[in-house]
Amino acid sequence: MALPMSTAAAPAGPVRAVSARHFLRLKLRVMGNSFRGQGWRLAMFIGGALVGLWFAASGFFLFAVPGMTGNGRYAMLVAAGGGGLLVLGWLLLPLVFFGVDETLDPARFALLPLPRRTLVLGLFAAALVSVSALAMLIATFGLVLTAWRLGGWSAGVVAVVGVVAGLLLCVAASRAVTSAFASMLRSRRVRDLAAVLLAVTAALLGPLQIFGLAALRETDWDRLTGVATVIGWTPLGAPWTAGIDVAQGRVWAAPVKLLITVVALGALLAWWSRSLESAMVGAVSSGRTPARRGATGGAVAQLFPRITGRMRRDRFGALVARDARYWWRDARRRANLITIAVVGIFVPVMTNLGGAGFAGGEQGMTLSTSDSSPVVVTISMLFVGVLASVTLANQFGFDGSAYAANVVAGVPGRVELRARMTAFSLYVLPMLTVVAVALSLLLGHPGWIGLTAGSMVATYGAGLAVSSFVSVLGAYSLPETSNPFAMNTGAGMAKGLLTLLAMVVAAVAGVPMVVAAALLGDAWLWLALPVGAAYGLGAALLGAYLAGDVLDRRQPELLATVTPRR
Amino acid sequence: MTGEHSALALRGLAKRFDGTIAVASVDLDVPAGSFYGLLGPNGAGKTTTLSMAVGLLRPDAGSAWVLGHDVWRDPVAAKRLLGVMPDGMRLFDRLTGAELLAYNGLLRGMEPAVVDQRAAELLDVLALGDAGRTLVVDYSAGMKKKIGLACALLHGPRVLVLDEPFEAVDPVSAALIRDILTRYAAGGGTVVFSSHVMEVVERLCSHVAILAGGAIKRVGTIGEVRGDRSLEQVFVEVVGGRTATGEELSWLSR
Repeated sequence: MALPMSTAAAPAGPVRAVSARHFLRLKLRVMGNSFRGQGWRLAMFIGGALVGLWFAASGFFLFAVPGMTGNGRYAMLVAAGGGGLLVLGWLLLPLVFFGVDETLDPARFALLPLPRRTLVLGLFAAALVSVSALAMLIATFGLVLTAWRLGGWSAGVVAVVGVVAGLLLCVAASRAVTSAFASMLRSRRVRDLAAVLLAVTAALLGPLQIFGLAALRETDWDRLTGVATVIGWTPLGAPWTAGIDVAQGRVWAAPVKLLITVVALGALLAWWSRSLESAMVGAVSSGRTPARRGATGGAVAQLFPRITGRMRRDRFGALVARDARYWWRDARRRANLITIAVVGIFVPVMTNLGGAGFAGGEQGMTLSTSDSSPVVVTISMLFVGVLASVTLANQFGFDGSAYAANVVAGVPGRVELRARMTAFSLYVLPMLTVVAVALSLLLGHPGWIGLTAGSMVATYGAGLAVSSFVSVLGAYSLPETSNPFAMNTGAGMAKGLLTLLAMVVAAVAGVPMVVAAALLGDAWLWLALPVGAAYGLGAALLGAYLAGDVLDRRQPELLATVTPRR
Repeated sequence: MTGEHSALALRGLAKRFDGTIAVASVDLDVPAGSFYGLLGPNGAGKTTTLSMAVGLLRPDAGSAWVLGHDVWRDPVAAKRLLGVMPDGMRLFDRLTGAELLAYNGLLRGMEPAVVDQRAAELLDVLALGDAGRTLVVDYSAGMKKKIGLACALLHGPRVLVLDEPFEAVDPVSAALIRDILTRYAAGGGTVVFSSHVMEVVERLCSHVAILAGGAIKRVGTIGEVRGDRSLEQVFVEVVGGRTATGEELSWLSR
């Protein structure tokens, strides 16, 4: 194997084995090159890294609290609960917010003679090189400190193994889930299945949450430790609690828990490996449509989908029609729509019914006895509105270089932004209406429909305005892969932060609705809808007006930033 | 710019990326009604030059006029006269061919009835009618070029700027594209296109400019540039290519 690699090597000569090390070096090289001559990228990366470190440090201290106070009573709770939440975060957050860093696109390796095992392990190793993985490792080392303080060095060593295994588990989980979900969305046959699957998951999470809160209400913290013990025996908690077990004298539990982790890890990698294959092949002909028959009417009639109704057949109409078609045909955008639908239903139900759980006192847990207040409802609606609108924060990135067509045609910025808002709203507004109505009925307050819808529409409109600016000034290119969750090199965290910033600004813009709900009392129940709708519409139009001006001045620059570098 | 305007006039266009000069001060005058070939090896700056000329890429210095309208100061008027087919840019490829044409037509402010009629004709002539409801993303490379050309032609521009219209196109489609462009030029339109295929340029063009290393090396009518040699000989000489290898790559033949 020590054959020197010279340029004159015969093509049929001995082949050197490829190991994960090569993938690591490749990833670092690609990351390094992507910063070259792009100062802002480097700055964003460093900014993201600093924030990551801050989170890591706070996580470390949280995990280390039981050890530093020398109080082992809640060690299990902290380890299983905190660790479990982290795993869930790695599992779900990439789907909702951040995407996965796909610096090494699996499709690029399709032509290389690599065994699948090598490929999976290599890509896995490369995936471990990220700010978030490092931050995670630092944070969870707080558990090592806890285990060491409580149970000496042997517990500490076990905790180290557990924490590292846990990190591997988290990264594998995020890769496997995004990859599987991506390939599901790619295939048109099962794309509806994916939506159903997500909806069912969300529907299951709701009751689980209520059960959890019910348990929390009926029991004290010690009983909760019992729950933590149970979680500790699932892959969610096993890696994190192994060290605590040793510290608390259950030495036999540690190897079993580590075994659970390893088995889960293996299963996830196998799952990933299967969907990876479809990702590699899928890139060649992504989302091939059957040649549909029955093209009726002229070209213009074909362009306008039914959802646009009797919209004028002019420039604005064409922009809306094209964007509306894209929200459905582009896997990346469709994934966003599905996310809004699922989270938009799940979060309000969770916060409001969960709030009932918190406040319910000794009464039994029935869904109708909710003590959710107009303020809580308004805040949760605020979140949904913001979440929906922030989807447009990189609306030009979705288009990529295809945006050139609009630049060449000289589309005025204001028309462009208004059309994009309209097309997106064609899908989102009905969805938001359903959420508002369903939530009001579920809470047993049909009279709150105006309140829920009004506050949601207000924040949605304000959020659209904010997103217009972010999309013009903070646009970034998305890689041209078949994975709708793929992000570009190292930019994931920084871009996620930009999105979060947009969310915060949009949420602040929605605060008047909360204040009104708190101060105006019953009158507000009737005023909320007209006032909210006017506020949202006004904000959105103002945003398009102002951001459109900016867009007019920097169309070519925007095109350059959303064009993927090849 | 007064009196008789050039169809396309470039003055001192320059662009640098990350410290490397992509295009260094390009001057070019494309006479109205000409069939203009922009020749150059890969990486010569053809795409950069054309992108700056049509308003897709902001130049570091210099300016561009389309029939007397400044592309960067008065983009609306200039872009109305222009039909552009960029290279390396995606189309809105999740639309069908007909939808894409309708989109571009309406974007240009055309009447829906006119769009319908012209789109049907273009799809028919370019033999894209059979594709039916196939999305453009599933088109072959040649079909993509053809639909791109159709999008550029749809609004009846006075000046047509095409980046590599013959790249990755099979001979049948290439012949079709050639015919359409010839007819367009014969009808008084001006065509500017980039290429590195000598035969096409030699057969079609009335004027040629050779671009290498971000600067214009030769410019004039095809007769002036070619002289008594073949265009390929002039091109290789200007660009400074190397010919036939001897010792190297011996392992290729075993």
